Amino acid sequence: MTATAIIALAQGYCVIGVIVALIFLTVGMDRIDEDARGAYAFRPLLIPAILLIWPLVLWRWLREETGAASWQGRHSPPRAAHGVAAALMAVIVVITLATGFTIRQTWPADRAPQLLVAPDGGSEASQ
Amino acid sequence: MSVKYIPVQWNRSKWGYDAVLLLGVGLFLWIFIHIAPGLLNHERPINPPIRNARAYGACAFVMLTIILCIGPLARLDRRFLPLLYNRRHFGVMTAAVALSHAYFVLGWYFSAYQGATRWETVLFANTSYGQALGFPFESLGIFALICLLILAATSHDFWLKFLTPPVWKAIHFLIYPAYAALVGHVALGAFQARGNETLAVIFTGGALLVVGLHIWAALRERTRATPATDWVAMGPASDIPEGRAKIALLPSGDRVAVFRHEGQLSAISNACAHQNGPLGEGRILDCLVTCPWHGFQYDVRTGQSPAPFTEKVPTYRLKLEGDAVFVDPDPNPPGTPVDPVPAPAGTPAQEAPA
Amino acid sequence: MKDDPFFVGYLRVPPDLRLFLTATCLALLVGAAGLAYALSLTQDDPGQSRPRFDFGPQTVLGVLELTPSPILHVTQGTDTIPDGQTLMLAGQGKNGAVERAMELEGQLVQATGVLFDRGDLGMLQLNGGNAFRAAEDQSAIPDIPEPESLGRWEITGEICDGKCEAGAMRPGRGIGHRACANLCILGGIPPVFVTTQPIEGEEFLLITGEGDEVLPPSLIDYVGLYVTLEGDVARHGDMLVLTVDTETVELVP
Repeated sequence: MTATAIIALAQGYCVIGVIVALIFLTVGMDRIDEDARGAYAFRPLLIPAILLIWPLVLWRWLREETGAASWQGRHSPPRAAHGVAAALMAVIVVITLATGFTIRQTWPADRAPQLLVAPDGGSEASQ
Repeated sequence: MSVKYIPVQWNRSKWGYDAVLLLGVGLFLWIFIHIAPGLLNHERPINPPIRNARAYGACAFVMLTIILCIGPLARLDRRFLPLLYNRRHFGVMTAAVALSHAYFVLGWYFSAYQGATRWETVLFANTSYGQALGFPFESLGIFALICLLILAATSHDFWLKFLTPPVWKAIHFLIYPAYAALVGHVALGAFQARGNETLAVIFTGGALLVVGLHIWAALRERTRATPATDWVAMGPASDIPEGRAKIALLPSGDRVAVFRHEGQLSAISNACAHQNGPLGEGRILDCLVTCPWHGFQYDVRTGQSPAPFTEKVPTYRLKLEGDAVFVDPDPNPPGTPVDPVPAPAGTPAQEAPA
Repeated sequence: MKDDPFFVGYLRVPPDLRLFLTATCLALLVGAAGLAYALSLTQDDPGQSRPRFDFGPQTVLGVLELTPSPILHVTQGTDTIPDGQTLMLAGQGKNGAVERAMELEGQLVQATGVLFDRGDLGMLQLNGGNAFRAAEDQSAIPDIPEPESLGRWEITGEICDGKCEAGAMRPGRGIGHRACANLCILGGIPPVFVTTQPIEGEEFLLITGEGDEVLPPSLIDYVGLYVTLEGDVARHGDMLVLTVDTETVELVP
C-alpha cells in the first residue's frame, strides 16, 4: 500500500539521518568549524535538523572540506527571492480563501425530506 | 558568534521575550482548554482530545500569523525590530504547539484502526484529492508541520554559519509555503466545519493581514531601491548623517552600506555575516557598526568584528567627486581594510531624521 | 534633530522604546486572551451522544440481520436496552463486526458489549472473545418485524459513521471528523445518514452497503459533507434503513 511505502521511505530517510548525525557531530564539525571545537553541550540540539536535512548537511560538509565555497556566497542574501516568495504566498492565500468561501456549506436545516414514490407505488408530491 | 557554541546565548532581552511568549501561549491554551468549556456549558462536553487539538491548532495559527507579521512590520516601522530579535524562539515554540496539535489529532482520529498505524491511516483515510470540498486537508497540515520542524530544528546559530546565511535564509523561505499550506489546511478544514462567522472573521482577517503587510512592505522597499552601474553614485555626502549609513543596491544585486564615522566615509556590505541582517540600517556604537537585528558588530574601516569575535563582512572602495560619493561595485574580500575617505568639510554631519 | 531609539538585544532597552514595547507586549497578551476566548466559543454543541460505560457491559439476546452492517433486533434486553430495540453492532476501536456476524445471520445471538447512545441511535460495541455468539437454544427463534417499505425519498443531510455519531466521539461528524469517519467505515462500522429533518420521526438512517462493503464505495467521497440524495427507505424494527441511489447524490450548494 502507498501509505506503508511512504512511511517506510520516511523511516529509511531518518535512519540515514541518524548515521549522518553521529558521524557529523563526532568527526565532521570539529574539522570544519573552529567554534565547535571543545563545545559539546549544543550538539544534541543539532540532531533533529540533521535528521531532516542530512542531504544538505552532506553537501555543505563536502563544500567546506574541498574549499569549494566562495566568500561572496556568504554575503549575498536572496533578497529579491524574498519578494517573489511573499508574492506567491499572497496569491495562493487569497485564492485559497476565495475557494474556502465559495465551497463553504451551511447545514441546510430548512430542507425537508420529500417522499417521491409512496410505498404502494403511487407518487406523492411532498410530505 | 566566534566564541564557542552554547545551546542558547541568553540575555535580558531574550528572557523577557520568552517570558511574554510563554505567558501568551499559556494564556491562550488555558482560556481555550479550561475556561471555555464552562462558558460553552454544553450538556455533554466536547471530548478533551478534540478540544485540545482545536486549542493547539488555533494557537499555532495565531502564532504563525503573528510571526509572519513581524518581518514586514519591522520594515515599515523600526520600533518593531525588538520583536524580530528573538523571533527564532517564537518559531521554535510555534513548531512545538503545532506538533502538539498533530499529536492530539493522530492519537484521537487516526488510531485504533486494525492493520495500520496512525502514521499510515492519516495518509490513506481520505484520498479525495480531486475535490476542494472534502479535500484531505490533513496533508496540507503535515506539509506545514514538516516545514515548521525544519525551520525550528535549524534555528541554532551553528546552522547559520555552517549552511551560510544565504542558504539558511533560502531554507527559511519555507515559512511562506508553510503559511500558505496552513491557510489551506484551515480553509478546507476547520473553516468548513463550523458555520460560525467569528471563526471566519478571525481566520480570514489574520491571513489577509499577513498578505497585506507583506505587499505594503514590498512596495515600500521597491521605492527605496536605487539600482545603478559602474561606479555607483550614492548622492551627496551630506545626505549621510554621522554614525549612520546610506544603502545602495549594486548591479550585482548586493547592497552596500556607506557609513559616516567621525567625519569620514567607509563602505561595507549591507549583509551581516550572522544572518545577513541589514547593517546599513544599524548604527555606529562605540566606533563599531551594530546590526539592527541581533547586535553583531564590525569595524567600519575593516569589516572585521572586534576580538574575540571573528565575523567579517566585505568592504568596498569609495571616491568623492566634489560632494558626490561613488562606490566601487566590486567588493573586497571580507575583512579587507580600506582607508576611510574624509567627508567634505562644512557639510552637515548631524543626525538626520530616520 | 531627534534621534530615534536603536534597540540592541544585549544592551538595555532604550528609554524611548520602553513604553512602545510594553504596550506591544500588553497588546499581544490581551490579543492572545481575546482570540482564545473568541475562537473557543465558536465550538458547536456536540449533541447528546455518549458511550454508556457507566451502565457496564450489557448482555442481550436478539435476532441478527445484515445490511451488510450487522443489526440486532433485541428480543431479550436489559434494564437499559428494551425488548424490541434495534441496535447497530460494532467491534472495538474502528473495527466493525461484519466478519464476526456473517455466520450468524438470521440466528438468535447473544451479544455483550457497551451501549453507545444518542436518542434514536443506539449501537452496541461488542466485547472481544466469546461476547458475540449464537444463542445455545436456536429451536425457537422469535419473530421479528418484517421490513416495511416507506417508499422512495429525497433527503438532505450528512453521511457519517454510526459509532462516532452515537457517542464514541463528541462531535462525531463534520468535515473535521471526515477522515475518522472514512476509517471507521473502511473498518466496517455501520454508516449512518443524519437528516436535516426527521423522516417518520427518525433523524438517523442506517445506510445499506454493497456486497460485504458497509457503504457503497462511491459514497466515501461524500462522507462528512452536506448532500442531497434519493433512496428507498424501509423500517427494520425501530430503525430506518436507507438504500441510496448512488447516481442521485449531490453536494448541497
